[in-house]
Parts: sequence; structure tokens; C-alpha cells
Amino acid sequence: MADVIWCKKDVGGKPCNTVNYLDPYCFWNWEGRINCAECGTVYFIHTIQGHMYRGPDEKPGEKPDLSPLYADKPLEGYKGYYPGIKGKTRPYECLPRHIYLGKADMVKFSIRGRPVRGWRPQPPSAGLAGSFPYKWDIQKLSPDVWKEYQEKKKKGEVKDW
Amino acid sequence: MAKDPRETRIEDLPGPKSKGELEEMKIPYEEYCRKAFDPGNEWSKPDALKGVRWLSCTMYIFTPHSAANLAELGAEVIKIEIPRMGDAMRHTSPFNEAYLYPLHDTRPMTGTGLGFTNANSNEFYLSMDYHIPEMVNVFYRLVKMSDGLTELYRPGTLDRWKMSYRYLQEINPRFIYVWGGGFGYGPKVFGGSYDILGQAHAGLASITGMHEYMGGHASKHSNWCIDWMSGTLISYGVLASILWRRKTGLGTMIEFSQVQTPTRISGYTFPLYGRFGIVRQRWGNWDTQLCVHGIILCGKSDFPDAQNPQDKHDARYVMVSAFNDPDFKELCDITGLKNLYGKYKAHKDRVDALPQVEIYTALEKWAADKSRSQVVKTLTDAGVLAAPVMNDRETYECEHYRERGTIRWLDDPLYGDILLQSGHSVGMMTKTPRRTNWIWRPVGADNVKIYRDMLGYPLSKIEEWYNKAYI
Amino acid sequence: MAREKREVEIKSRADTLELISPEVRPWPVTPPPPQEEVLKVYAKRKAEEFGKWCEDNLRFEYGFGKAEALQGLKVLDIGLWRMGHKFASSLLAEAGAEVICIEPPGGDPMRKLTPFGREEYMLADKETGEKCGLDFIAEMVNKHSITLDIETPEGQDLFRKLAVHADVIVEGHLPGYMDNLGVGYRQISRINPKLVYCWVGIRGSWGSYKDRVSKHGQWELDPFSQCTNPFVHSSGFPQDQLPRGKGGDPTRSGVWINDYCAGEQAAVNILAALYWRDELNGEGQFIEVTGAESYFDILDFDISWYGFNASIKARTGGWDPNLNQYEWNPCRDGYMMIGGQSDRLWYRIGMCIERDYPQFGRLIHEDPFLKEVGARNALHALIKTYTLTTRWLRDINRVEAEEKLMDYEIAAGPVLYTDEVAEFPHFKYRPWVSTCETDYGTILYATPPNAFQIKTPHRVKWLGRALGKDNYEIYRRWLGMGPTRVDALKEKGVI
Repeated sequence: MADVIWCKKDVGGKPCNTVNYLDPYCFWNWEGRINCAECGTVYFIHTIQGHMYRGPDEKPGEKPDLSPLYADKPLEGYKGYYPGIKGKTRPYECLPRHIYLGKADMVKFSIRGRPVRGWRPQPPSAGLAGSFPYKWDIQKLSPDVWKEYQEKKKKGEVKDW
Repeated sequence: MAKDPRETRIEDLPGPKSKGELEEMKIPYEEYCRKAFDPGNEWSKPDALKGVRWLSCTMYIFTPHSAANLAELGAEVIKIEIPRMGDAMRHTSPFNEAYLYPLHDTRPMTGTGLGFTNANSNEFYLSMDYHIPEMVNVFYRLVKMSDGLTELYRPGTLDRWKMSYRYLQEINPRFIYVWGGGFGYGPKVFGGSYDILGQAHAGLASITGMHEYMGGHASKHSNWCIDWMSGTLISYGVLASILWRRKTGLGTMIEFSQVQTPTRISGYTFPLYGRFGIVRQRWGNWDTQLCVHGIILCGKSDFPDAQNPQDKHDARYVMVSAFNDPDFKELCDITGLKNLYGKYKAHKDRVDALPQVEIYTALEKWAADKSRSQVVKTLTDAGVLAAPVMNDRETYECEHYRERGTIRWLDDPLYGDILLQSGHSVGMMTKTPRRTNWIWRPVGADNVKIYRDMLGYPLSKIEEWYNKAYI
Repeated sequence: MAREKREVEIKSRADTLELISPEVRPWPVTPPPPQEEVLKVYAKRKAEEFGKWCEDNLRFEYGFGKAEALQGLKVLDIGLWRMGHKFASSLLAEAGAEVICIEPPGGDPMRKLTPFGREEYMLADKETGEKCGLDFIAEMVNKHSITLDIETPEGQDLFRKLAVHADVIVEGHLPGYMDNLGVGYRQISRINPKLVYCWVGIRGSWGSYKDRVSKHGQWELDPFSQCTNPFVHSSGFPQDQLPRGKGGDPTRSGVWINDYCAGEQAAVNILAALYWRDELNGEGQFIEVTGAESYFDILDFDISWYGFNASIKARTGGWDPNLNQYEWNPCRDGYMMIGGQSDRLWYRIGMCIERDYPQFGRLIHEDPFLKEVGARNALHALIKTYTLTTRWLRDINRVEAEEKLMDYEIAAGPVLYTDEVAEFPHFKYRPWVSTCETDYGTILYATPPNAFQIKTPHRVKWLGRALGKDNYEIYRRWLGMGPTRVDALKEKGVI
């Protein structure tokens, strides 16, 4: 299915109001039980070609077959559950790294330990009309990173490959 | 020839001319190649396109790549971008994680995403808002001093600004003008386009991915392959036009639609439909014309304890190829699937659809308790062709690509330590090799270099334009 | 074939199914729109005059009346099994070069390849009756065919004599094969120093992981190249979207795409080398292009990304991890591709969907985390956006989705099947697929993307060539050998 389960389960006198996103390829044709990321309520759904053929039917006491990848709460500032929160959302395995940031990674050194300009903010260094030279004067512009680099070199952390 | 035709000189005879050349003829082929291509020493050799100057009024990947090819081959390419914003591609990055800074000084918190990589190497970066009337003449100056340009605007846009080929051929008859876009003249002329649209719209997606009955969907080529490949075809068209211009002195206009490219590279697909009405479908990791020639899933990963999920979960696939009869026999022997050999002795029999299903299923069953490297080793030891499906790390660590210099580290003048996969990888040339000098530069980084040093505008004028955001 | 045309409107896949039987065709089933209609499209954006000018100057049909850019260039193409060298020489031939394919007397084994081994899909040459596979025919563009066994001393001698005439040799044999026979670049360049010689392969003709051959002599072919660079690893659906073994696996391209990539880059390098030779230096050179490596160049930034922070590009199926929106997702009758990343386009997509499905606007446009362009590329943002987009798509057909999105000027298009591509109005109008009367009958083919030029458009004049069809002509013209001599060599198995 490609749909959402907007969970209205009453939790402590308030509706849960969590939107569970059922990602389109996984749930396009699917049958089973899925939990709400916030309150854990288990729903049975059966989808065919993206349409909910049956469900969502509450299945109290049963275990979910799968969790959503992502859910959020539109009424509370869109607070979200990222993939891979234990007991809430299912982990997303096929990632480029063991960690997932979803925001810019501040990188100062390449994998072989040499400086790369992957962090912000950078001190201004342009000349007239935004012109740049053909050298990154790291020693002058970012002396702390330069120092860190010298130490890395001493420690043998700078490699050829 | 010698002055006296009766005299025989060694240099007029075929074959080696000197002792050095004789030695060269004797060394083993591989050693000869290594010496002739000499990776790492590209800069001791000349540029193929020395003296060609190209304007790149482009964005995204497709049209920029057409100019990057020329720049890697030694042409001087000037990339013109929107002031302050730059190419839209600068704002793309995988999962929003990888950027290099700065975009330029006025936006210190914005970087250029890695999505911009490889499509604009070696170029000079100019910023210009060319629909401001004052800038049109500046643009004309550039045109008079250049061999050609590539642009990607909606058909008619540059024409309205009097910058289309109709106008430019008047001021520079040698000018070669390329429009690159999705569709070109015709009913969908204003249809926008992207790489993915090309993959989808021109039939490539419908034949890529697992078959429906395998549970699969139409699969996207991971990279922007149609953008890149169409860009290269433009470079090809441009070079052919430059060669023709040597004879006639005349430029031309090329209208290039990227959506056409996937159709062109789909082999038998369209002839088959045209003659027999057969609509080719997806066939997953197998080959429609050869069997065995496909990718199989092994039971175990090679790196079950690795931290990176790609190593941990996905080092499980092997490309196996044994379509010739003796190879297929060898494969069946080593995997204990002798019955399959008995059943499908002739290629014609085993390449049919159902036998393919049977054969690959049996191979995957055989591999179910083995790791990827076990499978590769068993098959390779038996003399059958097999290769692990490699990821980025494994490609980086592969000795073969390192010694050939097709993956190497670049000391980029502005961004530092960059692992380079382009340029040098696109073919080796013994006398005029391709090369990469820098990956890219900030928006407008060469404004003074071009506006003053090339076009002769005074610095005060440049500053004025900059402050008005004309450049 | 009769050219009777039918008034059938194709709006969805279902409409095409009845049209693919050979009784209903020939192509096209529906005629392309007339020019008057198209002029109206140009007028919509005040480009009527310019559009007309483009058609008058660029139209495909006029191409055959124009000059050829590479006229006079002589090219030899020698190789087996692979598409790389063939595509390179096709491009040269489309631009007007005279290309001679040299095959062993038994022919390139690729002539025998046909989908699923079906001989009924091979075509017979009208004169010789010899059957040939469609892949080979389709890439035998404007090329001549001669036969020559270069493993015999006499064959090598003839090859050297042919090479004297050539500007370019494109080679696709195993590493060092030609060199071993004494007809590689280092030998031929002695007798023809102006020669540009280009080898096209899988991973290399030298190096520790060069192209291999099996114990029994079988070659490595594409997709070995796709597997030994990171392409296959990073293509296909993740196991998070589809189960592994059932679609959630690394996936190869449906075509030998690395071969095509190597072929076009080979052609670019060849022309650059010719420019240098003719304009600057006078010397030829040796070039080597491989599928696996030339594809590095176009694998976006993936390997550089590993060098940046040890990321290994992972599969993302029909989605792109760098842009939002930029994907295809399932819809009622197939898959629908939508693209638009900048704020302007992104919100326009949203407005279009919102019209049918108001909740989309509520959940997407009001979410503060989705307001910044870069932030929208995060994985969870893709999951959210595409779940809701597909919620809209599940109710509509591709053609409806396309029409709706076109109203908002969004770059969007359905995943089209081959028959739909061939019948798509724009494709027929230009035409991007066309027919050619060949020695194998009328063939529907994809026209060269470089066919739309003012001065020297590239073009297809014929497709396919019977094995050795040009023996008498080429050996006469290039080597001065009369038919008697050619026949004698044929008897000996040299030709």
C-alpha cells in the first residue's frame, strides 16, 4: 500500500494522532500486522496494488510482523520517528554507513587523513567579485585544522591510500 | 626519402628505426602498455584539444558533462552560472550528508553537494545573469572569442534574448552551438527533462529490474547514466563538427535530446518490436541472449562482521558466466549439477526462459551455504569465469584500478584531498591523455580572470556588476 | 509494407495491447500529429517563429540532403562478442566515416545471438538467406563487412596492408591478441604512424585484473564490467523495500550499458586524437577504453564519496538519494516518474497532488523539516514524500498523472514499454524511431541522437550486413586484389 495509518487510538485520554507512513514498494501488495510507532497499537492490513483491501483492523495482544519506517506527529510540530528506533520503527538496513545523519556531515579529513574542505562555516577568502585563487591556504584560513593535521602526520594517521 | 632514390635508408624501411625502438618491440605487451600510457605522468604530454575554447551555459549533469569531456581533453571551458545561486546541481547531496564549502563567500553556511562532482572538472567559473540587457554585449564578446557553446534553456528562451544560433552565427560564423534538453522540436517541445525521465520515458526502465513474477519492479540505474551518456554523445557531435569545420570554416547548430539516448542504446529491443510485435520485458540479473551469464545470490556475506552495512549484508553476489558448451559443462561438474548439463547441452536449449529459471535457481541453491568468495574461488579454480559484485570500497581498494591510475587521489587546489574517479578513467591515450586538474570551483571564482584578463573590462566595472548582482 | 495509418488514440497500456500483433501494424499504428498542431504548441510560449525556424533547419528528414562530418575518414573495426567497439564504430559510421568490419570467415559469434535462443526472431539476408540476430543487425550501422582470418600469416599480411589505408582502427579482441599476432598498435604504427588505434574492453588489456578468458577460451563480456565497478552493487531495490531474492537485490542494467558507455567515450577520444593529429601534430596514437572504468566517470560521485567519509553507495530502487522529488513509484497501471527539486517545482508538484488529495498539502507543505531544499533529501523525508505521492498515484493511470503534472509544468513521465515508446507522439513526430529498408527487410530502429543538426547531421543509411558482403569491393579498392585472388584466398580459408 501506499497509504498512511493515522492512529487515533485513545492513549491516556488523548488520541494518539501519529501518522505512520507505509512506504510504497514494501506495502504495495502486503498482508500482515503493523504497529503504530507511537502507541504500539497493532493493526492488520491487507493491501492490493496500493489499495487497502482490508484494514486497518486493531489486533490487540498480537505481535506486529513489521513496523513502519517513519512516522510523525503533525499536531505536535511534526515530531518524527526516524527509521530504526527500537520497538517503534523498523531499521533501514540498506544504508551507506552504519550511522545515518540526514544532515551535512562535517568532515575535515578524507579517509586517508588529509584535509578536505567539508565543514562550515569557512572563513571568507574570496577576492574581487567572488574570485578565488588556485590555492586553499589552510594554514592561514583554518589554523586549528592545520595544527590537527600536523599532529595526525606525527601520529602516522596520514596515509597514501 | 633520400635524395637519391637508389639509396636505402633505415628510416624508409618498415620496422623499428633504432635500437631503442627495437627494444620496445621486444618487451612484453603489458609492459609496453604500461610504459606507453604511463599513468600518473599525463602532464608530461600535450592536450588533445589545445586552443579550443567552449562556453558552458549549463546546469545539472547532462549538458555540463558535454563540456567537461572537452575540458578533460584539454579545451578551455568557461562555465557560466547564475550569480549567488550557481548550478542547481550544487544543491544536491546524497541523503543531505556530503558537501564541500564554500559555495562562495556570501553564503558561508551553504556548500556544494557532491552531486556536482565530475560534470564540470577543469573549468573556469564565471557568474553572469545574461538576460540583463547590459550583459548581452558581454556575452557577445565571449561568443566572438570562443569556438562554441552548450546551453540547456527552454527552447526559444535564448532566442528571445537574441542569443540563439540565429543571432550568434552572424557574429561568429565558425560558432558551434549546442542545445541540449529533453525533447527538442515537436509536440513535447516544452517538456522538461531529467536523467530519470529519460530512463523512464524511452524504454530503458521497462527492461531493467527483476521480472514481475520474481517479485520485482522496474529498477532505476543507480546513477544519472542517461544524463552522462547523452552529454558524451554531445561531445562526440561537437568534435565531429569541429573536424568538419576544419574543411569548411563553418560552424553549426546541434539540437540534442537526451530522452532519445536510452532508445538508441537498447540493442535489439526496437527492431524486435517493429518486426514481431514483441514487447521486451525485464529479465533481472540474467541475460536474454546468453546462459549462463548472470548474477547469483550466495548464502553468506564475505564480511559478516563489518561495520558498514553494505559490506556486512551485501557482499553476497557473484557474476557467473559459462555460456559456451565446455564452460557450461565445467560449471555443472564443479557445482554437482550434472543433470542440468545432460538436459541442456546446447546453448539454444539452456538460454530459453524456463531453463534459465531452472539453472539459476539450482546455482543459487548450490551457493546457499557458501560465501561470495568461496563461490568465486571454486568457480575460478575450475577455470570458469566468475567475479564478485564489487562496491565502492572494494573498487577503491582494487589494485588493478590503482596501478592504471583510473582511481586516484587529487590534491584539489581549493577543496583539498579528493578521491577522483573521473577523467583519467575515461580511456587512456598514449600521446594526449585526458587529465583532471580540479573538480570544481566556487560560483564566480574566475570572474576577474575572465572579465578582465580575457575580455578586458576594468576592475571597477566588474565590481559594479557584482554589487548589482549582474554577475 | 503498406503504410496505411489508423486513427487510434493511445492513452494507456491497455490501449496498446491489441495493437502489437503484426496484423495490426505496420508502425506507426497512429500517425504522428500534423505540423499545424505542433506549431500551435510553439505559439503557446511565443516561440512560434523560433519553433518553425528550428523545424526548417533541423528536421530529421532534411538530414539526408546535408554533408557528412567525417566524410573521407577510413575506419577498420575488428573484434568479437562485444558491443563496445561496435558502438564506437557505429558512431563513426553514423557521422559519415567509411567503416569496414573485419570478421573471421566464420563470422562474429554475436551474429548468432537472439533473445531466448529463438531463431524465429533472427532475420535472413535477402540475397544469401543467412540468418542474423537483431542485436548484431542493430549495431551494424552503415558498416561494410569483410572476412579475414588474421590468425594466418597471409591474413596478417593482408591486415597490415589494409591498415596502411586506415585513419582509425577500433579493436575489441582479447588483451594482447593483436599484438601477439604482430598486428597490434606497436607494429602497425610503424607502417602507419598517423593511425589512431583504439582498444575497447571490459577492465583493461593490462593490469592485475585485466580481461580474463576461461579455461576453455570463453570471454568476459558485459555485465562483468557492471559488476566489477560499483554499478550493480548500487542499483536495484534495497532489501528494506522488497525481500532479498525477490527483487530486493543489486541489479544489472537491462542492456550492456558499460559497453555502450565505453563505445561512446572511445569515439570521443578517437575524434580528439584525430583533431590533435590533423590540427596540431600529425601523429596518431594508441587509446584504451574499458567499460568498467569509463563507467566510473559517470557513476556520479560515488567513489569520491567513499573517499570523503567512507560511505558506500547503497541501492535505493526507484528513488534517487540526492534529490526530492526525483523518483518513480507505482501507480494504477505501471510506474510514474516525477521530478522537481527546487522550491518552485517542489511546491508545484505538491499543489498538483493536493488538488486531488488535500491531505498531501497538510502533511508535506506544513512540515517545517521539509521546507529546506537540502533537508528534503534525507532518507526519512523521501519515505514520507513518496508514501504520500504514491497514495495519490494509486488511483490514477500514468497518462492521467502525466496530464495533471503537465498542467503544472512539472518534468514527469511514465515508465513506458517498448510499444508505447514507439507510438509516443513526440517520438514519431521527430522521429526518434524510424524505419529503414535494409537487406533484411524493413527494420524499426532508434535514430541517432546527433541526427538533428543544421550542417552535418548523423544518420543511418543501412542496418546489418551479410557476412563478407563487401569482400570483393574492399579488397579490390583498398588492396588491388581482383575477384580471382579473393576467391583463391577464400578457398584457403584466409578470407
